[in-house]
Amino acid sequence: MKEITLTIDGKQVKGKEGDTVLEVCEANGINVPTLCHMKGLTDVAACRMCIVEVERERRPVPACTYPARDGLVIQTQNEKLEKYRRLVLEIMFTERNHLCAQCVASGDCELQKLGYRYQMDSTRYPYAWPALPIDSQHEYLVIDHNRCILCGRCIRTCNEIVGVHTLDFGYRGWKDVVVADLNQPLGKSTCISCGACFQACPTGAIYSKKSAYKGKRPESKEVTTVCPICGIGCAVKGFVKSNILFRIDSPDPSQHDGLLCYMGRFGPLSQDHPRVKTAMVKNAQGKLEPCSVNEALETVAKKLSQFKAHNGSGSIAGLASSQASSQALKAFKDLISGTLGSKLFDTFDGDEYRAVMKGIKAFDSKADLKTEVPLEEIFNADCILLAGANPFDTHPVAGSYIVRAVRKNKAKLIVLDPAHNVLPEYAAMWLKPKKGQEASVLSNLAKSVGGGPVKEDATTGIGQKELKEATQILGKAKRTIIVYGGGVLQQKNAALITALYKLAAVSGTENKGKADVVVLKSKGNSRFAWDSGVSNGTESIAANLAKNGVKALYVLLADDYAGANDVAAPKGLDFLIVQTSYLTPLAQKADVVLPSPTWTETGGNFSLLDGSPISVSRLVKPAEGTRADWETISEIARRFK
Amino acid sequence: MAKVKVASVWLEGCSGCHMSFLDIDAAIIDLANAIEFTRTPITDIKEFPQVDVGIVEGSVGNAEEEEVLKDLRAHCKILMAWGDCACFGGVCAMRSSLDKDEVLRRAYIESESTVNGKIPHPPGVPALLDKVLPVNNVVKVDCYVPGCPPEASAILYGLKELLAGRLPVLPPDMMRFD
Repeated sequence: MKEITLTIDGKQVKGKEGDTVLEVCEANGINVPTLCHMKGLTDVAACRMCIVEVERERRPVPACTYPARDGLVIQTQNEKLEKYRRLVLEIMFTERNHLCAQCVASGDCELQKLGYRYQMDSTRYPYAWPALPIDSQHEYLVIDHNRCILCGRCIRTCNEIVGVHTLDFGYRGWKDVVVADLNQPLGKSTCISCGACFQACPTGAIYSKKSAYKGKRPESKEVTTVCPICGIGCAVKGFVKSNILFRIDSPDPSQHDGLLCYMGRFGPLSQDHPRVKTAMVKNAQGKLEPCSVNEALETVAKKLSQFKAHNGSGSIAGLASSQASSQALKAFKDLISGTLGSKLFDTFDGDEYRAVMKGIKAFDSKADLKTEVPLEEIFNADCILLAGANPFDTHPVAGSYIVRAVRKNKAKLIVLDPAHNVLPEYAAMWLKPKKGQEASVLSNLAKSVGGGPVKEDATTGIGQKELKEATQILGKAKRTIIVYGGGVLQQKNAALITALYKLAAVSGTENKGKADVVVLKSKGNSRFAWDSGVSNGTESIAANLAKNGVKALYVLLADDYAGANDVAAPKGLDFLIVQTSYLTPLAQKADVVLPSPTWTETGGNFSLLDGSPISVSRLVKPAEGTRADWETISEIARRFK
Repeated sequence: MAKVKVASVWLEGCSGCHMSFLDIDAAIIDLANAIEFTRTPITDIKEFPQVDVGIVEGSVGNAEEEEVLKDLRAHCKILMAWGDCACFGGVCAMRSSLDKDEVLRRAYIESESTVNGKIPHPPGVPALLDKVLPVNNVVKVDCYVPGCPPEASAILYGLKELLAGRLPVLPPDMMRFD
């Protein structure tokens, strides 16, 4: 890009052709006040705080939209500009209710900061204060239009960064407000609750019920780390006051990894399930009774060695949630298979693992999980096939990636799902096969994309016309990526997975022969569990406890509340250990409950969807005496030495 | 040198600004050498003499407050507003977005602890204005010390500037809206 030279405030500064004046100022450390400008969003010059004087322009112009040109002479600070900026502030302060003492954002507000900077100790205008409604029906977010300055940052964030475009302006003039969809309450709209609008809001117009009145960002401790919840690995910045985590932001929403979802932003602030605070052991009356962790560990070690001695190693089994950290999963496998000598260990998503592996091997006996590409590859694709996945529900950030690829890169999206067109506004087409017919549709497609005839197959539910269209899209594409998720995995159908890989391999002129696939797995650390063999390669252990004659079962749930909700404690089991953060239904049936910290309390290592390892730091200190899961498990192993 | 005469009033507010004034601690000794306090909520003098500086805490929400404020303005050369209520309306102005009659009904009849409530009327109590107003919506104000309450240091800064013959404008680091 061509370099240009401008004179700003009497100094010669450099910029690039195509920059705005504001970008040149920011690159050269010249501070220009802004409100509606946010890095990563299209500038719209709505607030007029960034006005500057440009030589030969009749009036001040907004720096955020004024193109920088070689030789421009610009003033960013002078008496006239300061006067106008204060005037703009006074108008914003008087239009709606911006009295800080009434506002949740006071002390953490960009408008307030500018009021201080421009010494706005009074306003010259009467308050307009149209009585506007407050929308507080959403689970996490409140929109108070009375605090809104109509900068549109939330709207542009929702549209350009998140890609759902739930928010936009409604009405005109005095009545202008931010609305969701066609003026629905936010909680009943297409909002995916990612909270990006809340972070974008410069005032108290959009705030979070989970953070309000709990702390202010400028007065708190910040911890930046990576979210381990779904395996995408978004960067998070936690705000902590008095060891209470009260807010999670994205460190930089303008970055590729700057998105967050409802799980990452609000999940750790919404732990409403009762916590397991101490170890517990069942007493003679069959009730769980709190005890010290050491006591519980002794009981576990004693019991397990009895089972091993009297019933053999095969009477002991271990089941883990793939939400646990890599260290915990590894220690768990070492304990069950090494120390206790049992082959009966598995994860709750083991069925998915076995189906995926079988499916891949049938596609190519030499292939393995390494065929998976990083999620960011979506941005290099011009065709995306989304099969059996509803990313905005399970992996919302992946949904945003797909939408951005469709909108910005003009990628064609094909949705394959028997029930829902999950991204109706963005899908080029929706292939809606009859239930259980996905594999046949994919095989037919693989044949036709590979050069064979387009054959109508009435049993699949897909007509010739659609098949032809899909063939054309997939055949013409340069780079195709197939994204599949729960809808495919839960079928535990290896043939369906093979069909996906076969289609991935024939489509895309540039990546022909290569199966570029992203698997949206059910748990955050599934990939580690699958890679490291904690998931059982042979059979489901949970489904075969009775058949295998299991007497003692050790379940590692960590902070996965829902991990074992559909697992019933099997009949004939003599001893159940549950290691968990929450008093889950299964934990209530246990003989020994061992406490787990949550990820925000210990951090740990995890693997992302594509297998790359991440290290997660803790955000808060755990309760006194709480041990990381791997430490608790190692303590049991130690007692066998 | 003759002392500067000061009168202050407390309108619709919480007295926090006057409390913050008392928080200037030992500085009040030097100030007392330069300033003579006439009518203030602290001295409990009821009549206004002619003064150099009038100080107002609180917003204007009823007929009495309006009258007291106009009276103060008529008796002072310079009028200084203390705190968010006087400068902007403050917490008191929360009712401005509601209908006045609805506010009275909620407070005197519908409030949970009230039995057989009645809305009080003038002349027993002053009549409420439709909206709660910042002081400069009613009379001319010469200078402002915002904050809820303003820090003692900001209050002292305002008075010292006046004594030095300047109209105070708080520097950015002393500005507070809450």
